[in-house]
Amino acid sequence: VSPQVSELVQFLLVKDQKKIPIKRTEMMKKVIQEYKNHKDVYSDIVNRAGRTLQEVFGLQLVEMDTKQHTYILVNNLPHAEGNYLCRDKEKEKMGLLLVILSFIFMKGNLVKDSALWEFLNLLRVYPGKQHRVFGDVRKLVMDEFVRQKYLEATQIPLTDPPEFKFQWGPRAEKETSRKDVLNFVAKVRPFWGHLWV
Amino acid sequence: ENREAMLNSKSNKLTEALEHANKLFGKVCRAQEAALDARFLVLASNIGKEKANELHSEMSAFDSTAFAEDLLTFMGINRTEVEETDDSEDVPGGFLPSDAWQTVGGEALKYFRRAPTFHYMMGSFKSEPPVPKQRIERQKKASRGKAERAMPAQLKKMEESHQEATEKEVERILRILQTHFENDPNTPISFFDFVIDPNSFAHTVENMFHVSFLIRDGLAKIKLDEDELPIIEPTKPSGRGEEESRAGARNQVVISLDQKEWK
Repeated sequence: VSPQVSELVQFLLVKDQKKIPIKRTEMMKKVIQEYKNHKDVYSDIVNRAGRTLQEVFGLQLVEMDTKQHTYILVNNLPHAEGNYLCRDKEKEKMGLLLVILSFIFMKGNLVKDSALWEFLNLLRVYPGKQHRVFGDVRKLVMDEFVRQKYLEATQIPLTDPPEFKFQWGPRAEKETSRKDVLNFVAKVRPFWGHLWV
Repeated sequence: ENREAMLNSKSNKLTEALEHANKLFGKVCRAQEAALDARFLVLASNIGKEKANELHSEMSAFDSTAFAEDLLTFMGINRTEVEETDDSEDVPGGFLPSDAWQTVGGEALKYFRRAPTFHYMMGSFKSEPPVPKQRIERQKKASRGKAERAMPAQLKKMEESHQEATEKEVERILRILQTHFENDPNTPISFFDFVIDPNSFAHTVENMFHVSFLIRDGLAKIKLDEDELPIIEPTKPSGRGEEESRAGARNQVVISLDQKEWK
């Protein structure tokens, strides 16, 4: 495995820490650092890096946005039973995220921010109030989740103060599915699970 | 305005507003008014879209309140105990344990194909070695390093602006001369002692070059002493008048010095 490939693999793994999609220009800059490589060599290195990621780490390098050429790392291993090695902070955020994604899905894939917050209030999560676990929740939802592409927020035009609509972001589409989310909802509400298709 | 009223699925207010706008548009004769009409259309269509959405959700039979209650149950809420919060607001419904979101989170992880975040097991490795190395090197080579750093910096300065550097040097030499004289007035310094650098011939030449500026500008003067050796002393900061009278007494001296003599 050439050093360039290893460097790119390490670069991608570190870049993925914050879960912000990686731009192709950044990857190219990293690879073409020392030599004036041709584009073909670049794509060869990227392919080999992808293969290494898959074979060594079980991760898939996925092009999330074909227009903007951004990439994310997705876990390609089958779901294993048992506890996942994950920091508590991350776990809690994923919990909140899944709840939000479920809500959006069950409400027809597009919700107004006011509706979302109304729902989260029922779970003792308030946008204006510092949360014991999540801190500034509004920032977490509007800023972090959106930047990571788990959620997509579009501003409703001509609203003042600005109002937003939320839908699933492209990362959510890649990392989970509506079927998975439905399973989650059914698990939480076993009694009512059979009521809708 | 009246957004809520229009959203009400039972009201026809949106239709009424559209019809009204239509009538008004017939009277429009200026671009501004047309722009307003366009704005209104955007607003109206947004409201229309929302109304349609509301229709849809009413038919989907998804009760978000019940879902929320079930989530709380899943998180391990204790409904018999009342939660005590810092602010005196009433939190009905029971006590939510501190690991509530971890419970959901643990379950949530199963539904995401999320790449585990990459962390070095033994902590971050890259940034540490360079730092102690630099510190050790700095301690050992403190004086040497400074001199090295000073010289390239000086060289850089000279490249940037020859004129400025020369001026600075001239000033510096003047200051040295003046300081020397302050400490020991009435004892002019031997010119050669002043300019010669025992370590560098080039530097000696430079010094002479800078001193010549001082002489030219009348800031210092060279005289011959009893032994016919040149001595140098700073001119006293006298008034302008005196300087002009001294200007006539300028002489030109050519000093030749080559490396052999220097040694």
